Amino acid sequence: MSVMSVPLQASARALRLEFKRNAVPYLLPLLAAVFYFDALRTADGFPPVWTLRASVIGNHMLYAYSAFAGGLAAWAGSREGRRKTVDLVAAAPRAAWARLSVALAGTLCWLLLAFVAGVAVLYIHTALQATWGGPPLWPAFVGAVGVIVVTVIGFTAGVFFPGRFTAPLVAIGVLVLSDIGFREALSVTASSGTYALLSPATSLPVIDAGVYYHVAPDLPITQVMFMGGIAVALYGVLGLAPRLRELAWAGGRPSLRAALARGTDRLPNAVAVLLVACGVAASWTAFALAGTAKPDAVGGWQIPALHSAATDRPVPVTMHCRSGSGFQVCVHPAFSFYLHDVAAALDPLAAEIAGLPGAPRRAEEVASVSGGNEVQSGISGNPPVFEFSADYVGPMFGAFFGIPNAAAWRAGFREGLLNAFIEGPSQHPGPVPLDPAQQAVEDVLLTAVGSQPLGASSGQTAVNGKLTAATLANINAAARRFAALPASARHAWLAAHLAALRAGTVTLAQIP
Amino acid sequence: MTVAEVLKPSAVPAAPAGTARRIRAGIWLTWLHLRTRRVPAAILALAVCGAVLRAALTWHWTFATGPYAQQVPLIIEAGAAAVIAVTAHSPFGEAERATGRWLPYLRLFAAIALTGLAILALQLGAVGESLNEGIPVLARNVIGFTGLGLVCSLVTGGLLAWTLPIGYMTFCQYALLEAWTAPWTWPVRPPDDRGAWIGACAVFAAGLVLFTVIGPRTRLSDDSC
Repeated sequence: MSVMSVPLQASARALRLEFKRNAVPYLLPLLAAVFYFDALRTADGFPPVWTLRASVIGNHMLYAYSAFAGGLAAWAGSREGRRKTVDLVAAAPRAAWARLSVALAGTLCWLLLAFVAGVAVLYIHTALQATWGGPPLWPAFVGAVGVIVVTVIGFTAGVFFPGRFTAPLVAIGVLVLSDIGFREALSVTASSGTYALLSPATSLPVIDAGVYYHVAPDLPITQVMFMGGIAVALYGVLGLAPRLRELAWAGGRPSLRAALARGTDRLPNAVAVLLVACGVAASWTAFALAGTAKPDAVGGWQIPALHSAATDRPVPVTMHCRSGSGFQVCVHPAFSFYLHDVAAALDPLAAEIAGLPGAPRRAEEVASVSGGNEVQSGISGNPPVFEFSADYVGPMFGAFFGIPNAAAWRAGFREGLLNAFIEGPSQHPGPVPLDPAQQAVEDVLLTAVGSQPLGASSGQTAVNGKLTAATLANINAAARRFAALPASARHAWLAAHLAALRAGTVTLAQIP
Repeated sequence: MTVAEVLKPSAVPAAPAGTARRIRAGIWLTWLHLRTRRVPAAILALAVCGAVLRAALTWHWTFATGPYAQQVPLIIEAGAAAVIAVTAHSPFGEAERATGRWLPYLRLFAAIALTGLAILALQLGAVGESLNEGIPVLARNVIGFTGLGLVCSLVTGGLLAWTLPIGYMTFCQYALLEAWTAPWTWPVRPPDDRGAWIGACAVFAAGLVLFTVIGPRTRLSDDSC
């Protein structure tokens, strides 16, 4: 047996005892229940897109784990003080730092194990449903470092302020801090300062984040550096705990320098001071880096000092398409579970307007953010292609966030296509309100394909807020007249008058 | 002086003195009970909770409206309840139960008094500020969370009794955003929701009765954790 193996064996034995006697396993059922009800159910409400589902780690999972990690670590850290055994164990041959490290490691291992298990459940659940992509590692890594830093904060609080109230107060303190960070992160703009981006909890990413472009790791790197720095610095403070305690008991009479330079403890003290310095430096650097963040072109944030241009390139992908009666519908493979529904919504309408000037031959999903701006749906190109995003289809927002009402969802897609078709190419960003004649025609075409007409009541024209009761009645009357025509007659009238209708020169009275 | 004179009730002025002694002894016993449960420190911790609520409302750490507006107050209310639950721990363990019949009453008194003080402290913290959902919801949440903490102390012992209120509060943050309406999610319901009041009061009553009659789980020490 070598000289080194004895302390190693002793440490392993102490760690094993710590695992056995730690409080965390007793609370794992409660943690699992909170994980299921909060994180997993929230993730289940999102479409199975990896980046979107992984956002639950920072916004929900870390929140719940932080409360328990902080409280239980404070509980473990306050053990010696709570049991009034500080003086007793001070006489033990093992250094106080080693003793505390074992207790911290035991608590941390249990908590990290629980966290990794939670992430595994979340990712396996997503993997069973996702149709494209793979698990993003940065959110899990940020979450793990978040658990570590909260555990170290709680443990340090427990060591320095042992008492029965430390654990609950640390738990609620961590949650309040987390909520403050979340609130600040929600209102971050480039002009108002970007330091709040250090908060792991932030606003929900766009629905297709990480789908068309890679998610830049700039922000996660900064967050890990910031939280890791705090953890390292506090771990160093733990190494100085006996000296700081002596100073406190002595009323600060001996100088800190003299206490740290004491013979046998000089090396551990130097290491502890070094850790504090490194931790503070890392956190400060991360803080400074976060202040330089600026919005990137795809809806995220980039930090110039860390940014790699490679992440700005689009992710190469082959769209999933479906052709029915000459009209092709394409979506990104990450959303291919919506392909059938989108095609079912658009195919009848495409058939209804087929052959008319400017009628799209194809519908294709595009990125919802491009060049830093939200992309609205519209028809462009030659041959015409109806482009929509996972977020915007006409006036409908959050198109691929789920289908709560299938009929309304289909009508939303159809209205989006018809708006773009009847409006024609627009110079304005976003949907343009239809005039009464356009609205009447749109209502008839929607009715013809089996959708409830939205225009007169809640569609584009009404959104404009300029409709009087008389105009509404006139729109309905014109729509009834136009609907009474045979389909071929409607088609012929549209073929002849579509340009005028788009230009806004057709009145309700001119509609046959 | 005869024996009859000595035993004559009118000649014994001990009755008022005895009552006073009993009252003094009762006050002393109560004070000792409260001290062993660290109630003075708990009152300080409740004052800290009130101060944090005040700071949150003054410096707008919380949202003004919407479901998020209730998040920070909810955390602080659960924190106050967790502090009360932690006072359930006795340093004497099992041995204390053999010392007399007053222990359940002292437990009942301490729990009710601290709950009242918690509501008062948080109410004082919110004075002059706009508290989302108002004081009735604050009081209802403190009552309900405290009940949960007292129930938890029966299982985990007093020192870890903070875990259930905090865990339930964490779940309620989800229920808040999802606008759950079940009475058992009372913290997320509006002030005039009768089911929520019944739910919170039922939990508090159950916790109080069980805590009074059975008492928190005791161990000779907290070695196991």
